[in-house]
Amino acid sequence: MNFSREEHPHGTPAAARAHLSEVRDEDLIVQVQEGNRKAFDELAARYKNRLFSFILRMVKEPVLAEELTQETLIRVYIHAAKYREIARFSTWVFTIATNLVRNKMRQRSRRPQLLSLNPAPVEDEIPLDPPDPEADPSLDIQRSELAAVINEATAGIPEKYRIPFLLREVEQLSYEEIQQVTGLKLGTVRSRINRARNRFRQLVKPLLKDETLLEELEMIEARAASLKDDPSEPR
Amino acid sequence: MRCNKARSYLSQAMDEQLPGKTARDLDLHLDSCSSCREYRADLLAGRRLLAATSPSLGEDFDWRLQLKLNQALQRTAGETAYPWQETGPVRSGWFGPFTTAASLGLAAVLALAMFMGPVSRTGAPGAREAMPASGALARSGHDSDRLPLTRRPGDSPFGMSGAGLRSVSREGGWERSAGSRGFALEPAWTGNHLEDLMTIQELRLRNQRLNNQLYQYQRELSVLRARLDRADSNGLDLGE
Repeated sequence: MNFSREEHPHGTPAAARAHLSEVRDEDLIVQVQEGNRKAFDELAARYKNRLFSFILRMVKEPVLAEELTQETLIRVYIHAAKYREIARFSTWVFTIATNLVRNKMRQRSRRPQLLSLNPAPVEDEIPLDPPDPEADPSLDIQRSELAAVINEATAGIPEKYRIPFLLREVEQLSYEEIQQVTGLKLGTVRSRINRARNRFRQLVKPLLKDETLLEELEMIEARAASLKDDPSEPR
Repeated sequence: MRCNKARSYLSQAMDEQLPGKTARDLDLHLDSCSSCREYRADLLAGRRLLAATSPSLGEDFDWRLQLKLNQALQRTAGETAYPWQETGPVRSGWFGPFTTAASLGLAAVLALAMFMGPVSRTGAPGAREAMPASGALARSGHDSDRLPLTRRPGDSPFGMSGAGLRSVSREGGWERSAGSRGFALEPAWTGNHLEDLMTIQELRLRNQRLNNQLYQYQRELSVLRARLDRADSNGLDLGE
């Protein structure tokens, strides 16, 4: 992501990017505070998928999750000056995301979705994310099917347990960071994670008896490991 | 250590949060209890499943983020790109549904008033007889930018009549209206509430539809750009 036109102090854009990739999040946000858009681009690249993964598992709708991911990153940029290094940057970002998700879920629970009696116009029926006709790896299909099942299971965890659970399991925040993000006591964080894990275990237990699914899981993990070793390999 | 206690510790043990002695006790229990071992294996499998199915964003996310960020910056700088464009509702909670309900109620009352009884500006007795000439009606219909809200006598039993007959004029000027006593100067109608509400609603819908279309085109453009970039890079690779 490279849209700014200012001169690169580190030579080529690739060199500048390589330089920024070695900088800590907390130092990058200081550069964002000074108006460096490239530092923000680097932060966005680091956090976009993590945020999307967390938010999608909270709201379940990909389009809404993408919107909230964008909103979170935009807030990071606009309110960068408010960040103080008393907490890790990741804690601050996930606090923003958690608040946005909570607000959205509260709005949804207050205002149930209305169904239009009129059929939607044809142009509105275009899928938001058309599938790429060139990409046809069967692994992706298996992965997306498995992901749908897991997302459904995650949605079965009550919201108040799900937030600390996902922050721990998906984002790997420490208990103290989760405490800061959620504003809960440490003991409450611990017990909620425990309860959520138990609930999730109950929900996925039937899946774990399925040999095919376990094979798929192993294939996906092997694929992910090979991608980690060789990032140039097409996904 | 009992199984219940051991299972309550397993979650903390997974996150290395257990104190040393408790962790050792738990290990001892797990060595001797197959059901707790299975329980732990399930928890770990759940963690693996979550990690393996972590979703990722599309290629065009970055581009759309930049677009939205620029729009947000313009808004915060007070430089709204489209000042005529309506922003979202400022208030929330009960106020939104209340205003919607109130405007719907108002629209219903206006509609009822329009269809059920004659509308008279003058209120003078005998106003019903003051029918305009059909030529004048037709003319006023042509002059105006909207259809007249009036009906010719006999068009419909629910038609309005009398001095209420008038053409809709956006200009709000004075128009001549024919009556039994010839032409009388009468204030032209400056807008019908119901029709205005409907027009506003229609324009809002059209605006929303156009915005949706714009969003679709932007997405398609970004997908095409991403594809073009990919094609360029592939071409370069082949060339080398």
